Amino acid sequence: MTLQFKPNETFRSDFAYGKSDADLLRFPFPFPEDAYMYSVNIEPHVRGGPTAAFAHVFDIDEHYVAECRERALVLAEDPKRCQVLPHMEMAEWDTLELIMESLAADYPDHFSLTKAGDLWTWVNRPLGIQQSFTFGEAHTLPYGPFEYITRQAQGDFTLQDQRDDNLYVDGGMVTTQADWSLEFNIGMTFHEWHGPVPLAHEKGVFDRALKYLLRLQYGRPVRRLNWTITINPRLDTSPENYPVWGPDRTTVTSENVGEKVHLRVELQTLFRLPRSNAILFGIRCYLASVADLARVPKWRRRLHRVLRDLHPEIQAYKGLPRYRQMVLDHLAPFDDGAPTSPGIQSDLDAL
Amino acid sequence: MIADGPIPLRVHDIESLSPSLKRFSLTALHGGELPTAAPGAHIMLTLRGPDRVMKNAYSLVSPAACRDRYQIIVRHVAQSRGGSAFLHQGIRPGDVIEAAPPVNLFPLSQSARKHLLIGGGIGITPLLSYLPLLKARGARFELHQISSAEDVGVFERLLAPFAPGQEIRIHGGGRGAFDLAGILSRQPLGTHLYVCGPRPLMDAAASTAAALGWPPGKVHKESFGEAAGGLPFKAILARRGIEIDVGETQTLLEAIEATGIAAPCLCRGGACGECRLPVIEGEVEHRDDFLSAEEKAAQSAVMTCVSRARSARLVIDF
Amino acid sequence: MTDQGIKSRPKYQRLALDPSGRHHLLLIDGPALSSEAADAGFDIAACETWIVIRRSAVPPEPILAEAPGAIRPFRSTAHLFSALQDRLARETMGLRIYAAGTEDFLWDIHGIADQAGMSRQELRFCHVGSKARRIFCVHCRTITAGVKTSIVACSGCGASLFVRDHFSRRLAAFMGVQVDAEAPGEVPDAEEIYA
Repeated sequence: MTLQFKPNETFRSDFAYGKSDADLLRFPFPFPEDAYMYSVNIEPHVRGGPTAAFAHVFDIDEHYVAECRERALVLAEDPKRCQVLPHMEMAEWDTLELIMESLAADYPDHFSLTKAGDLWTWVNRPLGIQQSFTFGEAHTLPYGPFEYITRQAQGDFTLQDQRDDNLYVDGGMVTTQADWSLEFNIGMTFHEWHGPVPLAHEKGVFDRALKYLLRLQYGRPVRRLNWTITINPRLDTSPENYPVWGPDRTTVTSENVGEKVHLRVELQTLFRLPRSNAILFGIRCYLASVADLARVPKWRRRLHRVLRDLHPEIQAYKGLPRYRQMVLDHLAPFDDGAPTSPGIQSDLDAL
Repeated sequence: MIADGPIPLRVHDIESLSPSLKRFSLTALHGGELPTAAPGAHIMLTLRGPDRVMKNAYSLVSPAACRDRYQIIVRHVAQSRGGSAFLHQGIRPGDVIEAAPPVNLFPLSQSARKHLLIGGGIGITPLLSYLPLLKARGARFELHQISSAEDVGVFERLLAPFAPGQEIRIHGGGRGAFDLAGILSRQPLGTHLYVCGPRPLMDAAASTAAALGWPPGKVHKESFGEAAGGLPFKAILARRGIEIDVGETQTLLEAIEATGIAAPCLCRGGACGECRLPVIEGEVEHRDDFLSAEEKAAQSAVMTCVSRARSARLVIDF
Repeated sequence: MTDQGIKSRPKYQRLALDPSGRHHLLLIDGPALSSEAADAGFDIAACETWIVIRRSAVPPEPILAEAPGAIRPFRSTAHLFSALQDRLARETMGLRIYAAGTEDFLWDIHGIADQAGMSRQELRFCHVGSKARRIFCVHCRTITAGVKTSIVACSGCGASLFVRDHFSRRLAAFMGVQVDAEAPGEVPDAEEIYA
């Protein structure tokens, strides 16, 4: 499969971003039913799922080149968006091995990896990179191994060290995040870095999820979907830059709500890494405007119902109150009350 | 890496290390690279003996960097359950064995300031997989191998590539002459203990460490995990009027799915709650993290992905 | 004090001797262990105790015994921290650290102990004294110390920061987030709640 990349897209200032029909239909819509509440919605990360976004170990789409450039811009402004604590060096190499081998196997037209013992050669055609290096020797790469490979991947990544029956977020590449700070959170336990999430602690979601993840096995990755709402197709909604993107929330009007308001979905994947026994947490971000989603009858009905009935604490946590009513007013005419099918698939073959 | 089921391996080479120890080198049957195996990882081999199929776990002794073969060392013991005897006597170079992908329940700590390794007899095997990494990283470590007098030679040969000296010692006088408390009491802050060997040695090391104030998170005993399966039982799906045999290595969920019935499930690890089914009759052995203690005691529901029946029959409202 | 329901905010308990420890080091931000810091039965004689007297003139012949019952005075918390780094580099497994004091004191000790390879299982903390907070500005990374109010001006970038209950043990600080980022100028009144 050859992807047609859109290298001139932007995720800031002029927000030159759009979705092809195929890209919209592969969107991992996050609501399997008409209501939403936190749960341990984790399942095995097998190849294949309700949309094409689940077909590969790491999903690459038409926004790949532009997203990598956006990442480089964020890192140029703020190098600390990528940090790995010193004891995670093996996990860095584990990550590089996993991503390179997976991309080369899943997208042979775009990536290749050849090995002669420890001497590896990596080719990334979309980004025009050819790099020979010695596996295990960081000085043979232009960046640390984790930064090197995650600069060439879509979505954020964190590294969790497992010790004392807990998971510590001891590294990460975090430039496309939904309002959490790596610089602040690095070193935290599983419950600490989920500390601000409302309701879910009381429901035991994090206790159960932690026990499950402590048992995560090599070769048996798992996945889940998470979501929030972002104004404009902006990838970097970091706490660091909240003074930059926060005012966007006041710019929504009943005229622009369809184009401005985006459903932001994270396809989260978790992999046990072999050498380090760490867990790689992939947080792959997808954006779709309300107007785009309204092109899919099932999705527009369901999005309306979920946002209409959403628990007030979750509304506040996800930053919705300023513009939620405008989204509901925009979507309500599209919701004829017809039943929707279970699951997240679009139920369409083409638009 | 997403595992696609068992890995077929070809026995490439069998090396006799001593009258009771053999080293097996196993390569990928269809060529290519094997999944990266971590220091401390083990593989579960399916051994098809003449009268029964055995599943035995063995620590890998090959380094993680080694993707072209897995190596295990197997001791032939008189009271062997059969798997080790079969490997020693029934397996020849060229034979094919199936392995599950490697699992690591005895990993090296990434944040330890020092690693203290204690092996007893054949318990040296996972420690052998640690050594290349510890050496390559210049990590601070100490290895003590406890041995009977007659096995000292074989352990010397196995450890020779790692330049024994101050860091690596073989104690040929057995457990009795080994000063466990002395060694444990002089370790610097931030040391992690790894012990592998006969159960009494592992228990003694853990209890001595605890008595000397080592926190539990810094004491690691080799483990192949608890058996995933259990005794076979019959599940009756009351609404469908179907009776299903759940085998000893199968989950209840897998047994239902094997009949072609789609049962609810999501995480397959006892956490999400999706697979919960009401129980009409029978006793459940709960293994999930979802049901509360009260719900478990009530015996009114079963999480099919991990839990089993303690009784011979389990009647489910499904 | 308000509770924002954020689970990273540390919870503290009165000190009790951990019977699984082999030797015990008690660190006090002050001249003596306050009664609110420990249970009545806390056996201080089982600990080597370090205290902070906040005077430049420590006794001319300081007690340097590294033994249970010994009490060693320090001029300041910084003085104690530098001795602690040196001490932990020589310590053996089995040590338990107990600390009583302000959050700044406790989490600076946590950082030193972490550097020495100690885990949380080996530390016991009780928060006594001022409830003032150290605030890390998530926008400009400046730490503003001694914050007693719900909203504070960042000493680095001047932003009006809402003091969030989200706590980083590594930074030993709570998070400060600009309160009027969405609508500049809409700053609620600050209330003194961390006195």
